[in-house]
Amino acid sequence: MMIFKKAILAASLLAVATGMAHAEDKKTVAYIAPSLDIDYWQWVARGVQQKAEELGMEYVEYTSENSPAKQMDNARVAVTRGVDAIVIGPVSSTSTPPFLNYLEKEGIPVAFTGIGPQPGLTNYTSAVTANNYETGIAQGKFTCELAKERGGNKVGMLSLPQDRENAQKYLKGAEEAFADNGCELVQMLETKGLTINEAVTQANDLLTANPDVKAIYGMYDQAGTGAAKALETRGMTGQVAVTVADGSPTTIQLMKDGAIQGIFFQEAVGQGIDATEQVYKSLNGEETTQDMALLMPLVTADKIDSDEAKAVIARVFPQD
Amino acid sequence: MNSTSNTLDTNGTTDTRAKPPSVLSTYRTELAIAGAIIVIMLGVGAFVPAALSLGNFANIAQAAAPLVIMALGILLVIITGGIDLSVGSVFSLTGMVAASAMANGVDGFTASLIGLGVGVVFGAINGALVTLAGLAPFVVTLITYAVAGSLAFIVTNGRSVGVAAPNYWLFNSGSLVPGIANYVLFCIIFLICLEFVLRKVTFGRWFYAVGSSSTAAHLLGVPVKRTRFAAYVFSSTMASFAGLLTLSYILNAESTSGASLMLQAIAAVVIGGASLFGGTGSAVGAVLGALMITVIQNGVNLIGINSFWQGSVTGLAILVAVLIDRFSQK
Repeated sequence: MMIFKKAILAASLLAVATGMAHAEDKKTVAYIAPSLDIDYWQWVARGVQQKAEELGMEYVEYTSENSPAKQMDNARVAVTRGVDAIVIGPVSSTSTPPFLNYLEKEGIPVAFTGIGPQPGLTNYTSAVTANNYETGIAQGKFTCELAKERGGNKVGMLSLPQDRENAQKYLKGAEEAFADNGCELVQMLETKGLTINEAVTQANDLLTANPDVKAIYGMYDQAGTGAAKALETRGMTGQVAVTVADGSPTTIQLMKDGAIQGIFFQEAVGQGIDATEQVYKSLNGEETTQDMALLMPLVTADKIDSDEAKAVIARVFPQD
Repeated sequence: MNSTSNTLDTNGTTDTRAKPPSVLSTYRTELAIAGAIIVIMLGVGAFVPAALSLGNFANIAQAAAPLVIMALGILLVIITGGIDLSVGSVFSLTGMVAASAMANGVDGFTASLIGLGVGVVFGAINGALVTLAGLAPFVVTLITYAVAGSLAFIVTNGRSVGVAAPNYWLFNSGSLVPGIANYVLFCIIFLICLEFVLRKVTFGRWFYAVGSSSTAAHLLGVPVKRTRFAAYVFSSTMASFAGLLTLSYILNAESTSGASLMLQAIAAVVIGGASLFGGTGSAVGAVLGALMITVIQNGVNLIGINSFWQGSVTGLAILVAVLIDRFSQK
């Protein structure tokens, strides 16, 4: 009987020890989103989640509700909870110094997605962002070509708020491309709400004020949908070209319908995947890449069903 | 604010000895707003001639339609001295629910009824908590604002949803009456009906009575609780209707689509001459207030002013409208 009890005790201790060892082995990655009311950040989350599962990591998620204070609170909560690494879409670049200083003290590797840290900072593991400047040049050139095909050189733009660093880079690239290719940016309207409804209204106003515009540059997904809707209402689909950055099932369908001429895909899921991979490498002492500016590939209607395009889209939004 | 248009008359009878007020005096505030709108449009037209084109008038009408309908809804609540902060969230939730229903094979008409049901339910919850539980309208509608806003994300896990019903666009852009787009028609019908009820029907006068003094209204036999309850149900249902109209227009539902509309709708009602203390306001004023906000937004875009200035310009417009009204009564 005594031997039996000892055997059970030994087995129990072994099971507990094995469990503890397993729990210690299983790392946790936290994803801190600026807000989850925008598809883009949800898709990044899916990328982080997907990669974490693949790497055998636990996944937790926080949202900062567009508040730098809440973002800082989330970092503290994550540390208290014992997370091993953080992937973040920051509220803004300027909100990142105290965030990074705190996590550096705690020894937590941090990777950025979508929006990078404040320029000049180096105390982070990796920043996986879109190459907004190069995309601005490419989209500007493409938009200009489409305008010329339609017999003009005037283009309009539906922009992200220009207080964002990525929006400034897009605009800088686009303006250079317009100048180099002989196009004129006649009006740019900035969004406040990032909704389709707002973009429809702005596109209508842009077309009213500038009836000779031949192409519209949409800097975010809802802008493309809004511009396409405004043109459809006016019976002008295809007469004024629409290009858009980001990409979603909605804009892909509009492109198939001929309402949008090209999408520069931002790899939201891919950014989540790559950022998670970077913090995982850091945890394992492997070499990491501090700045990864991903190019945003252009897909046009005639290539949307190609294998190449499908591979791109798989890194843009979840396919289920 | 507009005291002449809202004389307390709870039993709906007309004093035959009193001289009926002229249209000019009845709609003094509204005429001032209409004048201001014309001045703004002419001013914008001086910079951008296309601002005065028929096409731009159609743009303004389309952009204003949801706001007009929401403003008409919230007007009743404000007349009773209450507030409804939930309308923007109800607007978003309605679109998400209706679009999701259509995505699951429900036809457009039924999906719209389901969407309107969202408004009725939230309005009933607001009304019940305000009248039966005696909670402050601000607190109650702040709660339902948060709940409806949260549900708008939960319905589809925050993802935007396209409209699956092929002819659903006809609800907004079709023409039940030849030559008049439905979004304009709905606004006109709601305006005429509400203005008639508020001015000519006993039930309509009850809203002013409750807003002026609920105690006095109760002593006069006005069913105060039922009147307040009706105001909240109407407000929420109109928010749902506006949500459906927008869904039909852009054929896409977003969780945050109504986020900015709540404050705009309240602003429209205030610009239109209503007092947040209750007892005053008119349907015509609310519509003109909504039009003024839309015209300002349109003008800012046409001229090319940074759109972040829209809030400041709208705030200034409210201040000017309130000051004009205040001093015109002295």
